Amino acid sequence: MTSLPTVRTITGHPLRAETVRGFASWAGAAVVLTLGVLLAGSSPRWQGGWAETATELHNAQLIVVPLAAAAGCRQGGRERRRRTGELLTTAVRPPLARFLASALPVAVWVAVGQLLAVGLALLATWPYALGDRPHLALVPGDVVASASAVLAGHVVGRAVPSRLAAPLLAMAGYVGLGILAVSREGAGRHLNPAFPAGDDSVPLWWQSVAMAVWTAGLAAAAVLAYAARRRAGALLPLAAATTAGALLVLTGDGLWHTDPLARRQVCDTSVTPAVCVNARYAGLLPQVSKALSGVTGKLEGVRNVPVRWEDHLGAPRGGEAELPNLTPIGWSLVRGRLTDPVDFAWQSVAALSGHDECDEVPPRVYRTDEAVEHYLAPSPGEAYFDELSARGTPAQRAELQKRRAARARLAAMGDEERRDWLSAYFAAAGTCAGLNEVPTL
Amino acid sequence: MTGPLLYARSRALPVTLAALAGTAVFALWAAHRMEMYLDPDRRVPIVALAPLLAAAMIGASLRTPSDELDRTAVRPWWPLRLGQLAGLTALAAALMSPAVLGHPDVFGPPALIRNTLGCTGVTAAAAVLLGARLSWLPAFGYVSAVYLGSSGVRGRAATVWAWPMQPGAQPGAWAAALGAFVVGGALYVVLGARPEGPRG
Repeated sequence: MTSLPTVRTITGHPLRAETVRGFASWAGAAVVLTLGVLLAGSSPRWQGGWAETATELHNAQLIVVPLAAAAGCRQGGRERRRRTGELLTTAVRPPLARFLASALPVAVWVAVGQLLAVGLALLATWPYALGDRPHLALVPGDVVASASAVLAGHVVGRAVPSRLAAPLLAMAGYVGLGILAVSREGAGRHLNPAFPAGDDSVPLWWQSVAMAVWTAGLAAAAVLAYAARRRAGALLPLAAATTAGALLVLTGDGLWHTDPLARRQVCDTSVTPAVCVNARYAGLLPQVSKALSGVTGKLEGVRNVPVRWEDHLGAPRGGEAELPNLTPIGWSLVRGRLTDPVDFAWQSVAALSGHDECDEVPPRVYRTDEAVEHYLAPSPGEAYFDELSARGTPAQRAELQKRRAARARLAAMGDEERRDWLSAYFAAAGTCAGLNEVPTL
Repeated sequence: MTGPLLYARSRALPVTLAALAGTAVFALWAAHRMEMYLDPDRRVPIVALAPLLAAAMIGASLRTPSDELDRTAVRPWWPLRLGQLAGLTALAAALMSPAVLGHPDVFGPPALIRNTLGCTGVTAAAAVLLGARLSWLPAFGYVSAVYLGSSGVRGRAATVWAWPMQPGAQPGAWAAALGAFVVGGALYVVLGARPEGPRG
């Protein structure tokens, strides 16, 4: 009766023992920790944006795939290190079953680790999200690619009897995927499981499926060619992988299209100019409206101002001014908050005059633009630059005097007079051709 | 073979030396391929990843094939371990530096030497905790994650935790890398790599 526990251990499925003991769970932990460092370090860049979170998680494939391959490689060398390879060949199970018993648990744990990291990242984004919904289209393809890398690495580990095999595989995979990821041309780049994704684009629905078949097919072909009794069986997954790969290559850039949501914007039309932000972060509209409330308040009743600050993809259309860039997040927008509303308001006013893109702005127009900005939303650096000019050359001091005089004249106008003057100013703004019609202060 | 020569042979040092030389040649070749004279920032991949590869090679050599026998020895092991770790680190830094000559204040030899020290330190600590065979794993995970995760991240703390990606003249990054080397190196010199059982 005392031997009962031993009997139970022996009759348990080998997969269970391999899964709960040994290196497999450590490989999963390594994936979670590595992704944790990456995601924690870059959190201002993705937290709060569903699309950015998905992009960051997908681009992390650059590390997860080589790491998974190296983990598989280490596991693959295990029987050789323990000198149990010969013993195992006497088992009644076929070689493929023996191979999978030690390879699959690592693949499962790596996939679990990656899914855990994905879940944690989504949870971290959720409280700061401003609109949109979680983007999960790439996750299945990514997880299958990582698990496939484990199986392929396992084959390498069985075949190459060297201590340096695992670290070299990791480094070579990382550098190789990195080089593939930066190549901008060649249809072959769509076969890269770590190809860089963009925040504004979404894949076709079957992209993830084709990527999964492509990576899993290659790995299965390698496993079957190495461990199956009938090696010809490797041709079947190879054919599937080739078909999926051909689909990916032939569709090429068509695999990705612009997120329809990124083309839309939500607007606050109760003020002039109307304030619009991209529908991807629609929840930011109250903050942006508040940041610009001082400007819109002062522009009330002024004619000829642009209809709205736009935030759709592409250049502003006629009668629109461009809202300062909120993306890529991590600069002016971090974790769902505008980092510097004063600076944001100043940039928004600078976009109204539309003279930023002109080749040569006459000093008179520059002074006028600056005075209008000073009145509507002063630049955060204004005092600093005034201080610099005050300590500069006589010419700079004279220029500062003129700037201050222009600001004072605009401030001294009566409300009605200023509205008329600003109406005339905005009638000439927005084009470089109208530089000469800008009224003087 | 006796003394240090036997020690070197038992740690597969010839192979490690060849691997370090190969790493240096690869770094030199990649530096030429990437046309780095255009912009020192283009050297970041070499400055961050070549030391990582070198540290993985050094880590693999920190093993001992006869741990139990070693522990019965009368002579102290620490001079040999210290010589091995310090010598290989210095050699790796010296071999790789020609790939990134110039621009010492951004991404030049000082940054490369700092990263070699940091990566080797992390790897040596991992050899003590996990064993020499897996010693490459923590450094690979950390440096590659920081490489992808730290671009565009600002702040004083980032100069410390993102030490592999900092310019050469950044004191916080030097402190982090030197700290890693001193702690990891001391752990290895005193304790030696974790014994590798049959389960290795």
